[in-house]
Amino acid sequence: MSLAPVGLPSVLPADVLAELKETAKMLCAPGKGFLAADESAGPWLRAGHAEAAKIPDVIENRAAYRAMCFSTPGLSEHISGVILHWETLLQDDATGKPMVEIIKENGMIPGIKVDKGYNKKGMWGTPLGPLGHPEVATVGLDDLQQKCAQAYAKGARFAKWRNVLQLDPSKGMPTDLSIADTVHTLARYASICQSERLVPIVEPEIVPNGNHDINYCAEMTNKVLAAQFKALADHHIFLEGAVLKPNMVKNGLGGPKASAETIATLTCQTLLRTVPPSMPGIFFLSGETALNEDNEEEATINLSTMNRLFAGKLPWHLSFSYGKALQKTCIVTWLGKTENEAAAQKALKARANANSDAVFGKYTPGSCASVGTDGNVMQAAGPY
Amino acid sequence: MPARVAMPSRSRRVTLLAAFLTVAVSSLAFKIPFCQGLTGTRGPPPRASSLAREVGHYGRAHNGAHLSASQKAALEEIAEAIGTPGKGITATDEGPLTVGGRFEAVGVENTEENRRTYRQMLYTAKGANKYLSAAILDPETVFQKSDDGVPFPKVCSDLGIVPGVKPHLKIYSLPGTADGETVMQGLDSLAARCKEYREAGCRFAKWRSPLEVSEGEISRLCIEANMHDLARYALICQDEGLVPIVEPDISLKGDHDLETAVRVNVEVQSELYKAMIDHGVFMEGAVLKSNMVNPGKACKTAYTCEEIAQANVEVLQRCMPVSIRTANYLSGGQSLEDASARLNAINRHSGKKPWNLSFSWSAALQLPLLELCKGKGSLQLEEMEELYLKELAIASAAAKGEHSPAAGDGDHTPPP
Repeated sequence: MSLAPVGLPSVLPADVLAELKETAKMLCAPGKGFLAADESAGPWLRAGHAEAAKIPDVIENRAAYRAMCFSTPGLSEHISGVILHWETLLQDDATGKPMVEIIKENGMIPGIKVDKGYNKKGMWGTPLGPLGHPEVATVGLDDLQQKCAQAYAKGARFAKWRNVLQLDPSKGMPTDLSIADTVHTLARYASICQSERLVPIVEPEIVPNGNHDINYCAEMTNKVLAAQFKALADHHIFLEGAVLKPNMVKNGLGGPKASAETIATLTCQTLLRTVPPSMPGIFFLSGETALNEDNEEEATINLSTMNRLFAGKLPWHLSFSYGKALQKTCIVTWLGKTENEAAAQKALKARANANSDAVFGKYTPGSCASVGTDGNVMQAAGPY
Repeated sequence: MPARVAMPSRSRRVTLLAAFLTVAVSSLAFKIPFCQGLTGTRGPPPRASSLAREVGHYGRAHNGAHLSASQKAALEEIAEAIGTPGKGITATDEGPLTVGGRFEAVGVENTEENRRTYRQMLYTAKGANKYLSAAILDPETVFQKSDDGVPFPKVCSDLGIVPGVKPHLKIYSLPGTADGETVMQGLDSLAARCKEYREAGCRFAKWRSPLEVSEGEISRLCIEANMHDLARYALICQDEGLVPIVEPDISLKGDHDLETAVRVNVEVQSELYKAMIDHGVFMEGAVLKSNMVNPGKACKTAYTCEEIAQANVEVLQRCMPVSIRTANYLSGGQSLEDASARLNAINRHSGKKPWNLSFSWSAALQLPLLELCKGKGSLQLEEMEELYLKELAIASAAAKGEHSPAAGDGDHTPPP
């Protein structure tokens, strides 16, 4: 005998809630995570690799690259969902086949990035942060209701929206204003998505830029996530039909480097304090890393350490939603050439496989081939 | 034997003396130069807060960063002991007047000695410590002794029952709000009293914030005021080495349905956990004692025990941090049969429940015991002890999901 989910507004009928719950369950399949393929410009521009950055950022190249990735044989063993940019949602590959169909036929669920980024002019009166601009507010709520309906009609079943917070202890960043704006915006977005049967990925990203230590990041992540879940409760979000995409708790890029064990422990402790068990899954973003760090390996090792140290203690699926950290070696193998496609796909599958192992806490560092730090260049952070 | 004179209880006298001395010494230290020399500094020693401003971390969701590693470890150890699976809490913290009310209802005289021997039985009943992880004491009881002259906190801890105290005072009505919207008093002198109770052997405290649903709502003001007070109480307790049990107690009074109860409970508990995090409470060293989620007593819809259990699991899943390792439900007017059936059904529910879910009962355990005294004129300690053990066995089984309630136990039946 089961009570219908209670405490929710009656505007969300039982069948909508059931569909959200089912989609979330499929997204949180054991061992699986997301391919974050929603970059606005060519993903190779953000791979942090000098050669790759030379590939022309034109629509044909973006289509070719993504069609190659999405049709990777066996990718669905490790990837449950692919997050798309709006361009890709409406796009066909070179043969005229819709990208969304490629994804679905390959056993994965298409998702859609629905935010419209942020203006670096920022919120007036907030301090300048390590990104070089004030605190910012992500926009895109105004026509979100229609966009979500359109995306669903096109085949998307989940959505993603990214807000950005900066850390600077000397300036009290993130300010309460920026936290309040972030959590409210994300809760509004989540509410609208759920009304259109899209599972919302809630992403309050605290960027790692800055010289702070890992403890400051832990405290701020604690504060932000507590505020975020309070906002989700206030906005009547159906947690069973939503997922979180947080930053890992890490040192600032210019701060004292913390070990994988410390990162894993502080991250999981923070999540255990703030994320209610009814949320089915947490999918980490990979984020920026220092120039002397292998972005892909770090992301996989950190995730694996978490799942190993906290095996059996975490009431949610703890997984990945990686962009850079899944694609760098693939991009550098492809370098825009058709003859490299098979090898590039293999590289993508291998890294996806590695992250799958990490979800089970079983990744062996170095066992997945990676281009490493080769060719790393400084990235300009921004709404990507 | 000298006649007992009516005077402030020993606990109150000690508190007043301690408060007086604290004020006297600190004002001396400020005003008399040679006293500054005695402490080696100008004025009182720097408090943790000024160190914190240098470090730059405190005041921001720091999860007890001002506590040392050993202080945190000690708090966690106590919280873990309280949350021992299969065991629960005997709540014996009613003040003399409240106990008096219960005694007088069954014809027992309300004397300090009666209160002493009654509580002694509740702790030392043979085999009770198999089922009890902790006991909550009234300040009067903290300073009473067993027949063998052993202070009750030590009696409890010697039996493996962690002793705790109820350090709050009385509620007062929040002006301008609906009937029944109150705030609990006692924060002002809390640190000093916690120190005293800790020295007397207590290792945790409990603070109750009663709330009432009125027309399907509890006002924002009432929720915020009470939950923020609970968070501050928790912060102060931890600083004094006591694990805080936070008790948001939404009364059964009213006719609201189960759906409303779920919504209101999520609202109240969400506010509580956020307040605790924002205050810098060390979440792993805190314990929850909430009401069970139930329809109002006068609710006209019937619900089964399983439906009630599902509502309870849902509320916890929606907002309770995993870091708070145990929730020990209060009984709040539920009979032992109903409370046990519901606790049992909660523990048998198939959903995610990454916490220990157990009991912290007073009325449910004690009212049937007091019934045994009716018409006898005095405490029937032997009979009470026998029944108490049976009750504790039921409570413990319910905490493990191994209880077999009678048909209908735990259901909500609408009043005629």
